Amino acid sequence: MGRKEDNIKRATEVMHDREKIRNLAIAAHIDHGKTTLSDNLIAGAGMMSEELAGKSRVLDFDDQESARGITINAASASMVHTVGTDDYLINLIDTPGHVDFGGDVTRAMRAVDGCIILTCAVEGAMPQTETVVRQALKEKVKPVLFINKVDRLINELQVTPEDMMSRFEEQITKVNTLIRLFAPPEHKIDWQVSVLDGTVAFGSAFHNWGITAPYMQKSGVNFTQIFEYCHNEEQKELAKKAPVHEVLLDMAVDKLPSPIVAQKYRIPNIWQGDLESETGMAMLSCDSEGPLSLMITKIWMDPHAGEVAVGRIYSGTIKHGDSVWALGGAKSERVQQVSMMVGSDRIQVPEVSSGNIVALTGVRSAAAGVTVTRDEDATPFEPIRHYSEPVVTVAVEPKSMKDLPKFIDALRTLGKADASLEVSTNQETGEALLAGMGELHLEITVYRLEEEQGIKVTVSEPIVVYRESISSNNTGRAFEGKSPNRHNRFYIETEPLPDDVTDALREGTFGDGAVRNKDAKGIGDRFAEFGMNKDLMRKIYAINGTNVLVNDTKGIQNLHETRELIIEGFNDVCKKGPVAEEPLMGVMVRLVDAKLHEDAIHRGPAQTIPAVRKAVKGALLRSKSVIFEPIQNIRIDAPNDVIGGVTREVTTRRGVIEDMPIEGNTASVIGVMPVAESFGFSNDIRAATQGRAVWNTENAGYVHLPPSLFHKVTAEIRERKGLKSEIPDELQYTD
Amino acid sequence: MCSGAARFTMTDGVGGPGLWLIGIGPGDLDHMTERARSVARECSKRFLEGYTAVLPPSEEERLESVVGSWEKLMRNGVEKPNKLLKLASKRPVALLIVGDPMQATTHIDLEERCAEEGINFHVIPGLTATALAVSLSGLQSYRFGRQVTIPFSAGDYLPTSPLEMICKNKESGLHTLVLLDLDPTGMGLETPRPMVPGEAVALLERMGERTESISSSLDQPIRNWVGMLLSDLGTEEEQVVSGTLGELSEIGIGYVHAFILPAEFSGMEESAFERRRLPN
Ligand SMILES: Nc1nc2c(ncn2[C@@H]2O[C@H](COP(=O)(O)OP(=O)(O)OP(=O)(O)O)[C@@H](O)[C@H]2O)c(=O)[nH]1
Ligand SMILES: [Mg+2]
Repeated sequence: MGRKEDNIKRATEVMHDREKIRNLAIAAHIDHGKTTLSDNLIAGAGMMSEELAGKSRVLDFDDQESARGITINAASASMVHTVGTDDYLINLIDTPGHVDFGGDVTRAMRAVDGCIILTCAVEGAMPQTETVVRQALKEKVKPVLFINKVDRLINELQVTPEDMMSRFEEQITKVNTLIRLFAPPEHKIDWQVSVLDGTVAFGSAFHNWGITAPYMQKSGVNFTQIFEYCHNEEQKELAKKAPVHEVLLDMAVDKLPSPIVAQKYRIPNIWQGDLESETGMAMLSCDSEGPLSLMITKIWMDPHAGEVAVGRIYSGTIKHGDSVWALGGAKSERVQQVSMMVGSDRIQVPEVSSGNIVALTGVRSAAAGVTVTRDEDATPFEPIRHYSEPVVTVAVEPKSMKDLPKFIDALRTLGKADASLEVSTNQETGEALLAGMGELHLEITVYRLEEEQGIKVTVSEPIVVYRESISSNNTGRAFEGKSPNRHNRFYIETEPLPDDVTDALREGTFGDGAVRNKDAKGIGDRFAEFGMNKDLMRKIYAINGTNVLVNDTKGIQNLHETRELIIEGFNDVCKKGPVAEEPLMGVMVRLVDAKLHEDAIHRGPAQTIPAVRKAVKGALLRSKSVIFEPIQNIRIDAPNDVIGGVTREVTTRRGVIEDMPIEGNTASVIGVMPVAESFGFSNDIRAATQGRAVWNTENAGYVHLPPSLFHKVTAEIRERKGLKSEIPDELQYTD
Repeated sequence: MCSGAARFTMTDGVGGPGLWLIGIGPGDLDHMTERARSVARECSKRFLEGYTAVLPPSEEERLESVVGSWEKLMRNGVEKPNKLLKLASKRPVALLIVGDPMQATTHIDLEERCAEEGINFHVIPGLTATALAVSLSGLQSYRFGRQVTIPFSAGDYLPTSPLEMICKNKESGLHTLVLLDLDPTGMGLETPRPMVPGEAVALLERMGERTESISSSLDQPIRNWVGMLLSDLGTEEEQVVSGTLGELSEIGIGYVHAFILPAEFSGMEESAFERRRLPN
């Protein structure tokens, strides 16, 4: 038996020993070395050749990933690590660093209990570092820190040991500040990382070495030696004395929680069901004999097997041939293959039990975020909310109409595999709108359509997704919306929500969708914590994105019967606002009065929904509609002599430079820039700096579109959507 | 003279311009009154309102020979009646309505609009399925409570007030005439597809699951309730049968249906009910 086969066999054995399982993700800013490290860990555990480790980036197995040198998909791999005489099963997920794929990081965090936050010794903690720490802590995933690329610090920057120590200290402090800020209250202190505790490691993923304080003690390797090995180009020797996989996997086993420990506090955070119920108890104790509770966190396309669903099992065991429900699906489905992931290999196994990450085929209605159980009526897990929303759209259509059916099918599959992608198709014209996180995200999606699915397409220039909101309110001047039969009338007032409430909504603090009667009180009280009127918010009907609908009426007979329809009308407007049919943002919609026909037959969907839609749209226009545009934080590093070109590029694109720190020969431009101006930026910046600039962006929310651009932008959007170019005024909604 | 009321007349002949709402009876055009026929013929333009009720296809074909040429008007034309009213301000226009014109709220609204715009408005009553239902049921007309309509559900939307009203009627010792929705889309755009008895019973059961035990009537499974099914009233296919709702929901024939859900019987009602029992 080869080492790899032997490992697979041992993996399937330890899988059932839940105290010996560690589920962890590696997350960091782009290019800090996550994939290099992940490969190293896999190789060290005997799952691939050590020579290749760090050079081949096995987990970047997608050809676009190899070509671009970045990770696009979060990939998982299981491996066995031995401490003393005990085998441990490590289920590892490598995540992408590019902001466009941040949704994958959020979803990966749902599957794991621990996380290696990686920073680059040279660059330090970067904007994405903060984001991933926040993503981990929101899911109650415990962090440890690995400072990577130390070889560069020593050999390229020629720092002294003292310099190095102070740089590390600075990074650790920064990370700890983030932990204090975002960790759940009970872990703000005990999840702090420190060198002495052994929760901080440093090393070089590329040169295969790493070290922690406990490992220094165990192996006798010290700082002076590390500097010597690096200076003398003997890092191979160092890698033998302190192999990074051993050091980091020791750290994971010792410092990160097993599923048994973690599920006790993670389950109440991600599942709203009754914790005393059979399912609740089984999940709290990670019971492999209990009812099956599994959450899908990733779908990917296997060229042979088709859709593979990857997810975390919180309780129970899943076997080949099981009949399961993907909650929300129309029928139960039979599990075909049950497998574990090892690099690009999917190894079929007879069963996988609670506490592990599993790959399934056959469950076709599964999608990222879906709960899989045997009981159709089980309570699903909390949805996974990703902070960012799509900000860029392209219109795509097949070059040849005969590809249309194939095209529509391919889009459906892509939309399912990539939860950050929003696909809307027009079945007749064949035009599809792809909304994504950024230019790169959409470029890659189009590449997949063309190369993997073999459909030639025409693609529009990227289009920014704006948001509609309001700058004032119509309090006391409710807008009346009439039903087509005029027997039902709804009176609506709208007002902007405070910024902190909008932010909290965006982060999913209050959930999303229709609010059940019995939950309204609790949710209302949470709004009250943000200084909102408690009695009002307890009458909440629904949340849609960053907008809320509240029933502020009293004693209207039969109103409860039209609740769903009122919510539907509200949802419609949240999706398409009155100004340019762009999504609505940060608005409180209050139903203040209603007149309903006594007989239900005269206030059905066809009457109530349009009436509410008109009332909300009119109220928004009466509250002074405005447009918000997405902006991004930018950071561009370039040699001093070309930085002038960089600042010019930024300022001509309505960018605002906030800081320009200089370190040695490198200057950085830090600021914000509208997404609308960022298309083609990478080419221009390359030209302006002879390709010597490195740049990062991060979506940073929305700001008011300058009033001077309001009419131009809205007219453009309306024209593109085939609407009349002038913005409707409220009179259009009175009848 | 105040305007709205003054223009509401039940005239003998057609004079000048105006809107005539004409009831044409529940289905079979033989139920149309002589007056309805002559007024309809005298109008210079005729529309058939095809959205709140339906005419059997064979009768639709016959209509032209009875009243003259006509056009169908769907929901948009009734709810946004600008075109209709404009025409009626110049010429006598007939809007033919299955059953009686003023039983549907939609049409009462037309009266209001005509009053607002100073257009003459007239009504010719018609025989209704409701009246037929009561008379063919063998039950006492004074013992009926408020009538209800069961709407199609849409996703999560399903009003429970129809069932609540049925229970309320029962508790007050009143029978309920239950009409069934005609249009699952609710849009009134195409030819309707009337609800079938099985759907109606299933919807009542779903309403029952949603309402917390509001009434002791609900102690008994809805399927076991007794009721009368009245199908295609006023047409050749007219049929009236009684039985449990479970039995009645199996019935596959007929086009437009209504139920009567009786309260406790009094006098000779019970034997009338028994005579209409489904043959076993
Ligand atoms: N000198 C040095 N280079 C490293 C080290 N670790 C990674 N690199 C290099 O840094 C680059 C990025 O490494 P990746 O492993 O692809 O980084 P990543 O974090 O997975 O990147 P994304 O997935 O795109 O976010 C590659 O060229 C690596 O060879 C290290 O310890 N030392
Ligand atoms: Mg990577």
